[in-house]
Amino acid sequence: METRAENPPNGRAAGDAASAKKLGKRMEKVGHTAEQVWDRTRDSFSDFGDALDVKGRVDRHPFGTVAAAIGIGYVLGGGLFTPLTARIVRLGVRIGVRLAVLPLLKQEMAELVGEIEGEEDGKARATSKRTRTRGDEP
Amino acid sequence: MEMTEKIEETARELGARVRPQIEEAKRRFTSMSDSATTYIKANPGKCLVGAIAVGFLIGKIASRRG
Repeated sequence: METRAENPPNGRAAGDAASAKKLGKRMEKVGHTAEQVWDRTRDSFSDFGDALDVKGRVDRHPFGTVAAAIGIGYVLGGGLFTPLTARIVRLGVRIGVRLAVLPLLKQEMAELVGEIEGEEDGKARATSKRTRTRGDEP
Repeated sequence: MEMTEKIEETARELGARVRPQIEEAKRRFTSMSDSATTYIKANPGKCLVGAIAVGFLIGKIASRRG
């Protein structure tokens, strides 16, 4: 004996089977699409990694890369527009000026002093020559 | 003259005593730097993520104070 629930009237069983098939197909499609999305994301991430060449950078400049990472974290943490940043920048500028500009200034001053001394020597020689020639005159 | 000689001798002794310690500190610093470099090269991902986290924390603290 078949019960009503097992074999409902009006071809409902066939309809259910068809909808289940449809659902299965849809699920398969969704799974396939998700797989594609995952593959693409992974590929783009690996491309990004290759472009950045993190491993190579770390091998070449280990401390520099770590310092850069700390800087990125600092900016992400919202520390960019703070008094601490201003202080660090001021210190950096001061050190930079000391390292880069002062030797240049020293060199310029040395050249200037050399030129002035040269001019003075030239003048002194010229005056001594004049006095000598005047003294030699009969 | 004796005073200057004494000062010179004391300075020399102090230099002789301190020089090995400075050399030792230099050697330790170099070895620490080498081991840190090796660790960073061996675990770049860990180190970079940790460094970003440390920077983030410093930035957060600085922004709270500022």
